[in-house]
Order: sequence, then C-alpha cells, then structure tokens
Amino acid sequence: MTLPASLDEAVAALAATPAAVPVAGGTDLMTSVNAGQLRPTALVGLGRVREIRGWQYLDGHALLGAGLTHARMGRPDFAALIPALAAAARAAGPPQIRNAGTLGGNIATAAPSGDTLPVLAALEATLVVASPGGGRREVSVSHLLAGMDMLRGGELIGWVRVPLLHAPQVFLKATGRTGPGRATASVALVVDPARREVRCAIGAIAPMPLRPLEAERWAASLIDWDGERGLPQEALTAFGTYVATACVPDPEVPADGGEPPKLPPAVLHLRRTVAALARRALGRALS
Amino acid sequence: MSHDTATGIPAQADAEAAPHGLGVSLPLAEARAKTEGTFPYAADLWAEGLLWAAVLRSPHAHARVVSIDTRQAAGMPGVHAIVTHEDVPGEGLHGRYGADRPVFASEVVRHHGEPLAAVAADHPDTARMAAAAIMVEYEVLPAQTDPEEAFTAEPLHPDGNVVRHIPLRHGDQEATGETVVEGVYRIGRQDPAPVGAEAGLAVPRPDGGVELYAASTDPHADRDRAAAVYGLDPERVKVVVTGVPGATADREDPGFLLPLGLLAMRTGCPVKLAATREESFLGHAHRHPTLLRYRHHADAEGRLVRVEAQILMDCGAYTDSSRESLAAAVAFACGPYVVPHATIDGWAVRTNNPPAGHVRGEGALQVCAAYEAQMDKLAKKLGLEPAEVRARNVLATGDVLPTGQTVTCPAPVAELLQAVQDFPLPALPKDTPEEEWLLPGGPEGAGEPGAVRRGVGYGLGMVHMLGAEGADEVSTATVRVQDGRATVICAAVETGQGFTTLARQIVQETLGIDEVAVAPVDTDQPPAGPSCHSRHTWVSAGAVERAAKMVRTQLLQPLAHQFGMSTELLQITDGKITSYDGVLSTTVTEAMDGKELWATAQCRPHPTEPLDGAGQGDAFVGLVFCAVRAVVDVDVEIGSVRVVELAVAQDVGRVLNPAQIAARIEAGLTQGLGAALTENLRAPQGVLRHPDLTGYALPTALDAPDIRIVRLVEERDVVAPFGAKAASAVPVVTAPAAVASAVRAASGRPVNRLPIRPQAAVAQS
Repeated sequence: MTLPASLDEAVAALAATPAAVPVAGGTDLMTSVNAGQLRPTALVGLGRVREIRGWQYLDGHALLGAGLTHARMGRPDFAALIPALAAAARAAGPPQIRNAGTLGGNIATAAPSGDTLPVLAALEATLVVASPGGGRREVSVSHLLAGMDMLRGGELIGWVRVPLLHAPQVFLKATGRTGPGRATASVALVVDPARREVRCAIGAIAPMPLRPLEAERWAASLIDWDGERGLPQEALTAFGTYVATACVPDPEVPADGGEPPKLPPAVLHLRRTVAALARRALGRALS
Repeated sequence: MSHDTATGIPAQADAEAAPHGLGVSLPLAEARAKTEGTFPYAADLWAEGLLWAAVLRSPHAHARVVSIDTRQAAGMPGVHAIVTHEDVPGEGLHGRYGADRPVFASEVVRHHGEPLAAVAADHPDTARMAAAAIMVEYEVLPAQTDPEEAFTAEPLHPDGNVVRHIPLRHGDQEATGETVVEGVYRIGRQDPAPVGAEAGLAVPRPDGGVELYAASTDPHADRDRAAAVYGLDPERVKVVVTGVPGATADREDPGFLLPLGLLAMRTGCPVKLAATREESFLGHAHRHPTLLRYRHHADAEGRLVRVEAQILMDCGAYTDSSRESLAAAVAFACGPYVVPHATIDGWAVRTNNPPAGHVRGEGALQVCAAYEAQMDKLAKKLGLEPAEVRARNVLATGDVLPTGQTVTCPAPVAELLQAVQDFPLPALPKDTPEEEWLLPGGPEGAGEPGAVRRGVGYGLGMVHMLGAEGADEVSTATVRVQDGRATVICAAVETGQGFTTLARQIVQETLGIDEVAVAPVDTDQPPAGPSCHSRHTWVSAGAVERAAKMVRTQLLQPLAHQFGMSTELLQITDGKITSYDGVLSTTVTEAMDGKELWATAQCRPHPTEPLDGAGQGDAFVGLVFCAVRAVVDVDVEIGSVRVVELAVAQDVGRVLNPAQIAARIEAGLTQGLGAALTENLRAPQGVLRHPDLTGYALPTALDAPDIRIVRLVEERDVVAPFGAKAASAVPVVTAPAAVASAVRAASGRPVNRLPIRPQAAVAQS
C-alpha cells in the first residue's frame, strides 16, 4: 500500500506497479475483497491526494475533484452549484457509504445503478485524466461509460469538468423502498438556457445512462426560451411517454410480419416508472 | 482440551441495583456490552492452534453427483483434512423432525447450497481454495421448482414429494353462503437474515468426543443430532452456546456445524468456521413460500358461514419443521374469526427450491395475509367498512376453532380491534404543512405529493404458543442462592428475546434478592427445549419460578417453624424477611446462615394431541392475538409504498417487562414490514440470486414506520405461568396483512402477493 500525496505521484506509483489497484473510498473495492473475489497484490491509496478533494472554477465550468465524497457533494453550497449532482449524491446509499464513496469511484466502478452517472451524462461532463509522465487528457463521461474511450494502464481520473448552467436541474430516483436502495430507474434532467437545450439521461435501466435525444429536442422546441418556460400538463405527459418509449422500446415486429411479442409486466412497469419520472422531472425543472 | 481454552462464552452481567422484580422495565443484562461492541458472539470464538473450515456447496439446484475427487485439494499445502459422505461414522441422514437430510450429499444434490464436502486448513482462504479445488462431476437434472407440479413430478426423495397433507373438515361440508368471495394469494420467501452470520468452533475432547461452540438456539437437539451423525453417545458430545447474534428462526445451520465436529475429531485440532453472508443465505432455512386459494361464504350481513381453502407450502428439498408449519397454517387458515363450517386442505411438498423451515410465525403469517385479503374482499362486496366486517366475525373465549378445539384462553379480539380502530389517525400532510413529509421513495426519491394516496388497512392475527400436536414441551431450571446472590441455571438460550432478564426478574420477585446471575448455557444442563414457538416465557420462566419458590420455602421453613406460622405469612423485600404482623424481621443473609440453597424444578404444560385425519384435535396449548392498523402512503404512479404508521393492540396476558414487550412488538412489526414490502429471497430455477444484503432488502430506519402500541390487553391466561403470553411472534404474523390491506385501500388494487411489488400498487387509470 502506497499513499502518494499528489496525483502525479499516484499515477507514477500505478505505473511502477502495474498490478496495483487504486483505492479511494473503497466502498465498491472492499466488498469484492471481503467477498474473496479480489486479492490485490498492491494498493495505491488516494486519500492523501488533496488536490482532487475539492473543486475550482474554469471558463464557466466547475472542475470537480475525483476525490469528492458523496457527503461533500450533498451539502448546500455544492447543491447551489450543481443541484442535480447534489441530489444524486444525497440519494446514493446510507450515510456511511456517502461519507466514504467518491465521485471518481462512482465513475470508475461504472455500475448501471451508479447514481451520479445519469447526471454526468445529462450535463455532458468530461473527465480530466492524469496519465503517466504528467500528461493530461480529456475523455467524455459518455464515451468512457460506453467503452469507446477507456482509461489506459496507469491512468487516474483527476477531475470531472461540468458546465455551470445557472438553470434548474433535477435528479429523481425510484427505489424499492423508503430507505436507501439501488435505483430501479433514475432520471437526470438539466435545462441549458445558453444552448436552448433540455438534456435528460435515464439511469439504472441499461448498462450505461441512456439519452433520449429526440425527446430532448422535442421538449426544447416547445419551450418559450425568452418567456415563461412552463409547459402544459399534456406536453409533460407526452414527454414522459416519449422518453419511456425511447428507453424501454417495444419489441421488434418479427420479420414474417406476425404479432410482435408483448412486453412482460415487469418491463411495462419499468416503462411506466420511467415515464412518470421523466414527466415529473421536466415539470419540476420548468416550474 | 477443556473449554477454558475456548473463549467467546458471554459472561452474564450482574443485576443492577434497581429496578427489579416483575412488571418493571429491567434493562437487558447484555445490552451495554452489545452496544459497546464487547459482547462476544460466535464469530469471536478462538482457540489455540485452531484450523479453519470451509464447506463445498452445490452450485446446482438439482443434479446427480457422478464423482467427487478430493485428491488434488487434499494435496494442497496447508490442508489438514477433507471429509465427504464417506467419512460420516454414524447416521448419514439427519433432520429436526424426521431424518431425511444428508450430512453431505452423495448421489444427488437437491438444492442450491447443499453441502458435499468440508475442508480444514490452516487459513480460511486456504480452506476455501481447497474446497473450490475439490472436483465434483455433476449430471445436471431439471430443477423441480414449481410446488404445484410436485404432486405429479418424479419423487425428489425416496419417501415422495408430499411431506404432509392435512384435510381439515369441520361442520357441514355442503354449507354455502349468499355472498361468496374468492382469491389466489402468493407469499414469498422471507429469510430470517440474522444480523450476525453463522459461526462455530469444534474442539476435540481427549475422550474421543467433541465440544461444539455455536450460537445454537436448541442445544440439546443439536447435540443429539451431532452425536447420531458422529456415532457417539450423546454424553460425549457437548454443545456450548455462545453469544447469539440475532435469531428469529432456528439458528446454526447443521450443514456446517456437523462437518465442524467431524473435522475436529479427524485432525485432533479445534476447527472454526465463520460463514460469509452468501453462505449464510445458502445454508439456513427460509420462510415457506406459499400458494393459497380461498373461497369465503358469508350471509347477507357479512357473517362467515364457511371457508374453503387450499394451502400449498413449498418446503424445499427436506422436511425440517414443515409438518408443524403446515399444522399452524391449516389450523389458523380462517384466522381469529368464528367459522362454523370449514373445508381446508393443506399440503407441504418437496421442491428443488432453497430449504424452508422454522421462521417466526411460520404458517400463521402466510394464511393471515390471505384470510385478511378475503375479509377486505368481503367488505367491498357487501359495501361494509373493512373493520366492520371483521368486527362481526371475531372470535372470543369459548368459541371453537376449525380444528374443533375450544378456545379456553383469553381471546380479546374484539377489544383489540376496537382499540386500534379508535386510535386517532395520523395527520395528513396538508394538515401539518410545517412538518417535512417523507414521501414514498424516501427523502431523495421521486415522490410527488399529487400522486400520493393514503390508505388505512386492518389485520387481525393469531399464533399458537409452544410446540403443537403432542410435542412434549418441558423445561428444567435450577436456582441456587449463596452469600446473598442467586444464580439461575437453565438451558433456555437468550437470543435477544430477553429470557435471562425475565429469569432475573422472577428470582428478584420471588426471593427478594437483587443480585441474580444467569449461567451460560451448555448441554451438561438439563434440556429446556428450543428458543422458538414463544416457549421460554411459558415453560422456562415457569420452571425458574417454581425453582425459586422451592428455594423460598427452604429458606423460610425454619423461620416459619420457629415462629409457628406458615411460610405464606412471611414476605421477602429488599433482602429483608418480615412477617405479616411485623413481629419478625431478619435479613436473608442471616436466615441463610452461610448455607447454600438449591432447587431444581420442571414446567410441563398440559398435553396436546395431534390433528387427526380430518384435521381435528386439541393441538395447541395457548393462543395469542393481535390487531394492527396500518396507514400507508402510496405513490400510485410508480407504486412505491411508505408505511406511515402501524398501530397495534396486543393480547399479552400480563406485562412482565414493559420496555422489553414494547421492544419485542416493534421488532416483530418491523420484521413483518419486511415480509410485506421488500424481503423476498429470489431463486429463479432454484438458484439464489443476489444472496447479499444489497439484493435482499431488509427494512432500514427510514423504512420503519411510527409504531404506536395502542393497548396491551392484560387478561391473564390462568394456565400460563404469571398469566403471561409471548409477545414476539404475533406482530410479525399480522403486520404484512395490515400493510397489504392499507395498500389495497390506497391503490384500489387487489394486492394478492407478498412482498407487494411496485407494479401491484399502481392505481389503474
């Protein structure tokens, strides 16, 4: 176990010991270790890398340190900056997990139910990745989650670059219980007045967050960007249905033109849940 | 090796000075150690030079075992011994109620997680790796997981698939009512999910016997079972009970406890195993998943005429406690209602699903959810309030159960129902805008006030106390007094239910001695029976009371003789003996005069009889009743449910410890809440999916509702010691039915399945 004090030292330690595993909060890693599924020969602890534990501002963006804990992101000062990410952080598990688990860890684990991921997808966030030798490169979160641009050996997520939109944004999560639980579906929705866009991502229903791009454009086209931004209830409902049908599609019609198979009740319920979440999210963002 | 070398036996803390005696809230003796994290549980066991065990379990729900090759695993460095079915010296089959479960599978595995072999090695990882290195060739067979097909499917066991069938026939079999309601109900697989996973230590004895240290809840039965498997006299096997980390079922899966002893005897070393959460889910028994079909006949006023029911319980591959669970399900199939005519068939059948067994309120919970759903349907059909249709049918003392047994104990069901009905409803959020409203889905959930509907529902439940159908329910206790302090020796296991606290209170009350210790339990003591069926408050507390009274007589007899009065005219308070007229006054210490007093007594309640071929018989010693009113908020668009409040009124006989009884009721309702909403151990094709506490959602503090104990009805049961009834099981049984009833009211949906899935709570538009 090494405990480097800077990001470059951490990257160097990883490069020196290719078998080493980086550990920040350990909330995902240690469950695998405790279950006997993983026996890392070496660990690189990121707990002393101070430079990735806070955030800074840069050209209308926030540069969020990968070592920010969920508990930190849930606090009011952060919520004033990026409300949807703060809401997702507050919804991510019990306090013990939120105190330890980090933003970078949530991205690196890339679990389908990772609560911050749909928010980052809707914000179109990019990662600032530290490479061996002191290099930095940028990777889009969506590309990383889709496996189009993976982290290479010895690389670490340093920061997450998130636009500051100064407009309403919403994160909603459906779980099986009142207490903290894995999302069965979640919706992140942000309004971007500068680009006159509505961006929406659905989490937990697929291996990575899904973006219903057509539905987003349709909603943006209905909004009176220069006046009251509210939409009538029918439009909100239609948006919900649009999003849900895009993300939970109907089964394909068989090649012989016969009856398409019916969606099982659990999938229909998932679609209904996504529709309700998307409708509520847009309604709250525009109210 | 003596058990001095093994630590982990909880030392019982001495009694505090005050409060004391019956009817006061004496705190649990071990509460402080548990809170501070110093209480020794089974997983903390340690012995010098111990080896670690691992059990090889079947990955298949049903397979023929073609061959087991342990050679490679045995050759791994650090491995000391491997045992399989060939190494079992005694009985190869065991079982709590009829031996049908192999210690190790030999020719066929019948459920996911069935043990095949066990390894002892010098490190837990080595043991697990060696277990994984045992080569087992399987011929995978189709898993028979549908209990309805069990009747016609290939027998999974030589004695067939139907473990028990009870055809209960009561009254007129042709009777019909003007109003008929029908329903099919499914109850899921709840797991007891004890907070601490299973662990144990086996220590070989120089005489060739073995000592087993484990959090057993039935030490003598575990000893007898182990002795039969080891081919030893029971005297040469000793079970020592360690700290129990939570038990609402039979604790300590014999699937690892029996191999531990074999490994210890084979290696001559102490052998320990601490199960992972996954092994814990695989090893212990779950609640019986149950399919129920009901038809209720009622007259135009809503009074029940006849109930027809078919109850199908899935016991997994082995019998375990299924015969008893089925008896409870059939006997209480109509609930605490007067039903003159009944036709009830119950079956317990074998499948390749995970094993089912004793879990608190077994049998009674499943039928309660179904008969209460039927009462809701009846109310709807007749246009009556759900509480009203229940009130028109409630059972009372003197009424007859469908088993033909007359209810002789207090049965204040009407009073319980009235109490929860009269309790004010919690405020609606619109009436208390200043309070933050916790919506269904949780504090950061998707809940939207406009989509939330509130529902109120009722549940009436009943369970029996003590073993049924002729089980010899007996407990033995010893009380010893010396130097002004008393010791209770009784093999009743403290599982957190508060028995040791109650035993201390009884001795304090009877002998006026504040300082009472309860000895740790082992099988050198006389048996007290299992910690289940709400037994120990009755039989073991009864035995302690008798023993304490005998000591009292021994203490007071010489004084009484000296003063020419009977011992009844003397009383002991605060360590002083005084006569009724105040003439005599001495201290207990003086009266003892340095003597040591011992007394041992038994408590054996009146006998019961098995249910006969028509399900008739006086099968139960005592009954307990409870009424629950549930208030829920349902997000009717996405189906998330939050239970806002559970108001409960319970028949307790007599309150012996107010704080403990409140704690038992709160714990029971919360366990019932889990069965109602989230707890279902999924096993598609018989293979457990997500056997961990993320996949298996236990209620958290945010899920737990406000619990209002509205009334504790103290109508003493004259045949029970102190007149007290057990408190733990009946809230578990009743809560799911009440929650389902409330969700039905909020969503307008039938809610035929537990746990309630979100799609079942979505209002149809």
